[in-house]
Amino acid sequence: MRRSPAEIALSLGVLALGVGVGAVTTTLSSEGVYAGIGPNFFPAVTAAGLVVVGAWLLYEALSGGWRSGAPDDPRSRGEHAFQAGAFGWITAGLLAQMALIDLAGFVIAGAALFVGVTRGFGSRRLARDIAAGLVLALAVFLFFTKFLNVGLPAGWLAPILGGAGI
Amino acid sequence: MEALSALISGFAVAATPGNLLWCLLGVTLGTFVGVLPGVGPALTVAMLLPLTTKLDPTGALIMFAGIYYGAMFGGSTTTILLNTPGESASIVTALEGNKMAKAGRAGPALATCAIGSFVAGTIATVALTLIAPLVVDLALKFGPAEYFALMVFAFITVSAVLGASTVRGLTSLFLGLLLGVVGIDSQTGQPRFAFGVPELLDGIDVVVLAVGLFAVGEALYVAAYQSRLTGSLEKLSGSIWMSIEDWKRSWPAWLRATAIGFPFGTIPAGGSEIPTFLSYATEKKLTEHPEEFGRGAIEGVAGPEAANNASATGVLVPLLTLGIPTSATAAILLGAFQNYGLQPGPLLFQAQTELVWGLIASLYIGNVILLVLNLPLIGLWVKVLAIPRDLLYAGILVFATLGAYSLHQSWVDLLTLYIFGLLGFGMRRWDIPVGPAVIGLILGPLAETQFRRALAISQGDASVFFTQPIAATFLAITAALIVVPFIVRHWGRLRRRPA
Repeated sequence: MRRSPAEIALSLGVLALGVGVGAVTTTLSSEGVYAGIGPNFFPAVTAAGLVVVGAWLLYEALSGGWRSGAPDDPRSRGEHAFQAGAFGWITAGLLAQMALIDLAGFVIAGAALFVGVTRGFGSRRLARDIAAGLVLALAVFLFFTKFLNVGLPAGWLAPILGGAGI
Repeated sequence: MEALSALISGFAVAATPGNLLWCLLGVTLGTFVGVLPGVGPALTVAMLLPLTTKLDPTGALIMFAGIYYGAMFGGSTTTILLNTPGESASIVTALEGNKMAKAGRAGPALATCAIGSFVAGTIATVALTLIAPLVVDLALKFGPAEYFALMVFAFITVSAVLGASTVRGLTSLFLGLLLGVVGIDSQTGQPRFAFGVPELLDGIDVVVLAVGLFAVGEALYVAAYQSRLTGSLEKLSGSIWMSIEDWKRSWPAWLRATAIGFPFGTIPAGGSEIPTFLSYATEKKLTEHPEEFGRGAIEGVAGPEAANNASATGVLVPLLTLGIPTSATAAILLGAFQNYGLQPGPLLFQAQTELVWGLIASLYIGNVILLVLNLPLIGLWVKVLAIPRDLLYAGILVFATLGAYSLHQSWVDLLTLYIFGLLGFGMRRWDIPVGPAVIGLILGPLAETQFRRALAISQGDASVFFTQPIAATFLAITAALIVVPFIVRHWGRLRRRPA
């Protein structure tokens, strides 16, 4: 019988989420505007729903695996093994953007994200990626700030970009 | 003909130079982004939403109609030339379309898609014009109890009935409903699940969820599991024009597919895969060239593609007349309406006649633009496909993160986006559908409001959902949809068991 640890863990995760939502729901008021249906009712329904589907998933996971689920072996899905490096580089790019955007501005943060993603997809041409990322982020920045009047932070490039951003 | 005069006034709105320009821009951008591999219609609409923040509502929604159609067509181009269906509704097109491309007949395959989309889209828009006022008349009689029952029906059909697994569909739905209650409760003003984070008080924006699931999740997944594989891009060689034989075989398929696709789109059940599969099966059965199926039969491209477009137009019927989205893309469109403080539904037809009929008129115009624009520009779209994958995904993510960041100018939204990206990665890996989550996020708060209103009117008497005939019927059908397949399966198991 097929038993996937990941499926069991995910099922337990859904179940735990349902219990957690239920716990938070008890802190919400049950006072409604009319007729006693308060803001806690729908969260309670959601919590109950998550507990039910979590238990159902767990039952399937323990009795032969999730029905018609994706096979665990990447090759039988026509894919290669999980590349932790690729996953990590894209994550690094997104985290770098988060850290930089308020400080260094949209263009530099966007270029950092760009470089992280290209590296994740196997690119080794750092100079090209930095240049392409800067050009694209700058083009998007100018289009949104000048043409669409959507404010974006200019950050460190404010002296060059002038009053374009916010 | 009340609809006709309304439509004529709609054309007066849509045909102003400014609005024609927005429609043209929408179709072009929609096709361009839709062609990008790995970008389906839902992501296209979500990524382009920030472009319209400063437009007036009519212009913005007209642009969105163009994006919607452009994204659909762009996706089929990618499917035929690359054999990587960007969305489930394109899977069937890939069966025959990619075979045609491999046999050097990419041109006619793309042409039958473009012309078939135009034919199906236009007929379906005519049907929408005629049906919408009727549904509006009916919907005006609906009270909160009827709306709630209808929404429950839509929830269950999109999550539990369609798709590989009932329980995984429901899991996705409840995740979406959970995200939908985050923020300030619209009725009492009480914050829920915000945990003191100011960015969460506004609620979870549908763009952040859609872009997180479809763009960030997809990029993480493709990089982790597919980035070292090489795909093959079919060349566009020979004539792009269809021969007389191609025309003869295509047009009956377009018409049959429209008849299949439109009704499936209109019922508040969603799912554009079923009509495409039905159309493929129909064409396979009726064809005079059964030996070509599986090796590039043009009917097998013409039918499913037309069915896909007809059902995409059909989806607009429940969206515009009832305010019920039945696909992830429609849910994001509903989010676009909400950004302007507009709630689609029968009242919108009365209060914003110009906007609604201008939008419907622009669907006709969008279809024409799509045809005129795409046949000559196919060569350009093919070039878009040749963008290296690393640059492509990097560009998509830069643009996608912009949409999330511009909501509050805060990095917290980027963190939320990344968390949804991880969720999208997991859902893709373990085959949990993402559509129900997006629909749950948008429709959940609306359903909650109707539920509480219904009970407020009945002074807390819950029997209102079972004594009103329309509401009770919808709930009964919903219950049957869950219970009957369950019983059938277990009955079959009991009978198979030897005595």
